[in-house]
Amino acid sequence: MHFTPLAYLDPGSGSILIQLIVAAVLAIGVALRASWGSIMKLFGKGKTDEQNDDDAE
Amino acid sequence: MPNNNAHAASFRDPSGFLFSRGGILHRQVNRAGADDYARFMESGLYEKLVKANLLIPHAEVDEKPADESLAFKVIRPERVAFISYPYEWSFSELKDAALATLSIQRRALKAGMSLKDASAYNIQFVNGKPTLIDTLSFEIYKEGKPWDAYRQFCQHFLAPLALMSLVDIRLGQLLRVYIDGVPLDLASKLLPFSTRFNFGLLTHIHIHASAQVRYADSASQRVSESTSGRGMSKNGFIGLIDSLETTVKKLTWKPAGTEWGNYYEITNYSDAGFAHKKEIISGWLTKLAPKSIWDLGANNGEFSRLASGAGVSALAWDIDPSAVEQNYLRLKSEKEQNLLPLLLDLTNPSPALGWDNAERDSLAQRGPADAVFALALIHHLAISNNVPLPRLADFFAGLSRWLIIEWVPKSDSQVQKLLRTRKDIFETYTREGFESAFGTRFHIRESVDVRESERRMYLLEKRD
Repeated sequence: MHFTPLAYLDPGSGSILIQLIVAAVLAIGVALRASWGSIMKLFGKGKTDEQNDDDAE
Repeated sequence: MPNNNAHAASFRDPSGFLFSRGGILHRQVNRAGADDYARFMESGLYEKLVKANLLIPHAEVDEKPADESLAFKVIRPERVAFISYPYEWSFSELKDAALATLSIQRRALKAGMSLKDASAYNIQFVNGKPTLIDTLSFEIYKEGKPWDAYRQFCQHFLAPLALMSLVDIRLGQLLRVYIDGVPLDLASKLLPFSTRFNFGLLTHIHIHASAQVRYADSASQRVSESTSGRGMSKNGFIGLIDSLETTVKKLTWKPAGTEWGNYYEITNYSDAGFAHKKEIISGWLTKLAPKSIWDLGANNGEFSRLASGAGVSALAWDIDPSAVEQNYLRLKSEKEQNLLPLLLDLTNPSPALGWDNAERDSLAQRGPADAVFALALIHHLAISNNVPLPRLADFFAGLSRWLIIEWVPKSDSQVQKLLRTRKDIFETYTREGFESAFGTRFHIRESVDVRESERRMYLLEKRD
């Protein structure tokens, strides 16, 4: 994998490693949530993207 | 980038820098940052963020670049009324700045961009809301790439918030010592053992800190290649942001055991006296029509609001984290404008910090204000901190042309309280002594006794 260009801040090797591991675990939850969201949308109960944007505030 | 008026704090990122010309602040976008900037503008992310009050708006201008050899464009960001620093923020101010940063990153990811830094210094309070001021913080997102700013986010936001919430509110002051945020190994050492049972704090602080120590000597490229080979999926990235957000949101702090919490109930002002004091200040504000005021020792901002309510940009400084917190929570719930509560120990005000002592300005460097309030303050400085009155006059003269100051005589019960446990060495602490000390630096333009009180209000103008 190539992460080019390199960051202007040193991201730190340990910091990259730990986030890769945490992200790998958490990705599962996000994927499940996304598919659950699309199932709910089929039934017209899901949130729209715009609503999600507002949630982020 | 010397000799081109580049801002002293703007040198790290090769994609551009701030410079000032003719008193106006500009940002040069370098060719090195051209692609990222162009995509940022075209993707619609800029508009979305500005609309959500999460980013400072700017205009592209036809201005000569400060360094033509590097230049792509020059933009002019909207001016921020006052630059404050994370070590001057209350708990909720820092927390809201953290959540704003995550919210920006979430929107950026949706637009195919990502924040390449997560510095708390890139956030400023504009009309009471945390707002990103660095337009060049965005880069084009590449699937698989981890978040370069992850460490910075944890150091600038998560670690100090956790320490303030779970150990002691005063640990927020570590940000004043560590310019790039609280070192994670230090945070890990200081946090109680129980935080290891909190998934967010366990991973983002404790394990993160150990990983930093353990892999300090490995190249980051090698580390990421040796893990999965595919890097961090977008879902993983979103999961990471979610996790940071949940962790931050769960950190709370209740302003309790406050130094001033019920101050207005324990003052010796009668209702009529309190109303009269307000009336005097409002009258002088109308007369002076200042654009900005600093209320020093503002407590929860009762008097600052006389200014901010009249459209004057007001900073409400206080030494007590509880007072600043309550003030901020109130302005937030009432959606007030023109007011910013900030933390400050006047006996040791924010110094100039960072590289060459020039990255962060001292309190005085960020002045002058058009007017300064020093209400029910003088006895704390002159008696609790032993500052002689002439030195106090010098100090205030360095901050503002106009000074609205309240004289609190020795016979006042608040002063008596301060003297109860110590020797009275303050022979010159008299009204005459005050007028003569301040008279050398200021003209006394007006003075009025506050009704039903021993205190007296002064309107002073600095001598040229």
